[in-house]
Amino acid sequence: MKLTDKEKRMLNGEMGFPVQKGMQIMAALGESFGAEKMLEVNNVHMPGASIVVAGEAGTRFVEEMYDKGGRFCAFTTTNPGAIDIDNWRELGIDEEDAKMQMRLTSAYEKMGAVICGTCTPYFLGNVPRKGEHVAWGESSAIAFVNSVLGARTNREGGPSALAAALTGRVPAYGFHLDENRRGKILVKVESKINGATEYGTLGYYVGSRTKQDIPVFEGIPQNASIDELKSLGAALASSGAVALFHVVGVTPEAHTLEEAFGGNKPELELKFGLKEKEDTVELLTKSKSSDVDWVILGCPHTSIREFHDIAKSLRGRKIHSGVEFWVCTALPVKAMAERMGYVEEIVNAGGKVVCDTCPVLLPARKLAQKKNLNSVTTNSAKMAFLIQGQHGLLSRYGNLEQIVEAAVKGMWR
Amino acid sequence: MDKTIKLIGRKVVGGKVCGEALVSKVPVTFVGGADPITGILTEVGHPLQGCSLAGKILVYPTGKGSTGSSYRIYDMAMRKTGPIAFLQIKAEPVATIGAIMAGMPVVDSLEPNPIETIETGDFLEVDADAGTVLVTKKK
Repeated sequence: MKLTDKEKRMLNGEMGFPVQKGMQIMAALGESFGAEKMLEVNNVHMPGASIVVAGEAGTRFVEEMYDKGGRFCAFTTTNPGAIDIDNWRELGIDEEDAKMQMRLTSAYEKMGAVICGTCTPYFLGNVPRKGEHVAWGESSAIAFVNSVLGARTNREGGPSALAAALTGRVPAYGFHLDENRRGKILVKVESKINGATEYGTLGYYVGSRTKQDIPVFEGIPQNASIDELKSLGAALASSGAVALFHVVGVTPEAHTLEEAFGGNKPELELKFGLKEKEDTVELLTKSKSSDVDWVILGCPHTSIREFHDIAKSLRGRKIHSGVEFWVCTALPVKAMAERMGYVEEIVNAGGKVVCDTCPVLLPARKLAQKKNLNSVTTNSAKMAFLIQGQHGLLSRYGNLEQIVEAAVKGMWR
Repeated sequence: MDKTIKLIGRKVVGGKVCGEALVSKVPVTFVGGADPITGILTEVGHPLQGCSLAGKILVYPTGKGSTGSSYRIYDMAMRKTGPIAFLQIKAEPVATIGAIMAGMPVVDSLEPNPIETIETGDFLEVDADAGTVLVTKKK
């Protein structure tokens, strides 16, 4: 790989140990994927911000980077951690977990990250422009910036996003290059899809069949909302490793089918009809019991528009006494929802608004045992999938109306 | 004489290691798919659900899902509850970054196809620097 003089100085240690370590990671990664050079980046979204994924080894590594003088040279926002920073005790998080999380969060903050603790940094102004090279982690956010905003990132894990923040560089391979952004798989959407949950169902079905390849969707309504596309990307990146998708007539690199494929012939054609939709919904409901005890909304984090819909659906209703009802979001969105009275409506109905974290990224198994919760009921395909493998809680999956109905009755269907 | 087969591929992360194969025909995620304390694969409905990853050479198509898997792979390597090498059809950055951190060999693009050639329990000698894998069939 060709390095500039400055990059060589980074690599030989002239700019300190953390920059050297960062450049070593980037050089190794570039070599693994055949990159010819580095690209400059000034926008990082940091995954590995929760102790649940970083573990003791990852937490120590991040602390070591700070202790040895590491400072971020790129603008950096953080993904959710394992606690609601202001309300972790009320949620029932153990003090030892909160302390360890504060070690990790504090190291990122002292190196220069904006501690926004969200998987939807684009809702608070981290909005890279079309064609901008960035280094983003968080699988759902990667799919969103690449596909909906047209910025360019590979799937960065915690260590490589940290390396990008320290060096301001990423290796030039994969989704940074024009030729790797063209569609490979044609998906014909033949069933009517409506609402974020159904977009998640579609994404889950397709992601499990595409692996890393780029799907091109034909037949998605031209008025698909930001929340629906957020849900589509999150599910694609859960059952698969999809970092980029195109929706003909909707996303910026797919004005036409021809543009989306860029001269490629589809290698595979998939159909998503009523049967595929129903089978996927069934696949995402693993719990056999009908007792609803933990309801989770906000995966990816709730937008202000979704807050409006949740508050409206709860108007005049009371959540069943045995049900924990969580709406997960980012702090600035909660502030706006407070101003609009949505938070009050949710709390009065018996729900909680949770910031900076999500049940996948907090010690949910421990919390569930403490509160005697046995399952998760959610409108998110990503959450339904991850909560099972991550924390051993079986899921139930439905749209917002079905979820609220279940929360009010304390019973599924 | 044991029957051995040689597979040739591409170095993704260098290093040499020997051990037993654990083969998955479908992608694997570590966040939402593996318990870092026990090393057990936990994805509900996955063909390897309940299998231990500890000390195994994981043979699988590619990674998927959460970008938290990089640190999870590193953490499991430090705890010695994770795999010791990856053989993939097509390498993917998140698992590769975890392997770079942990110093784990990774080889991809192997011929013949490792998922069809290698079975769980086969003994493997991986030389990632040379891009080769020597397979001794368990039977």
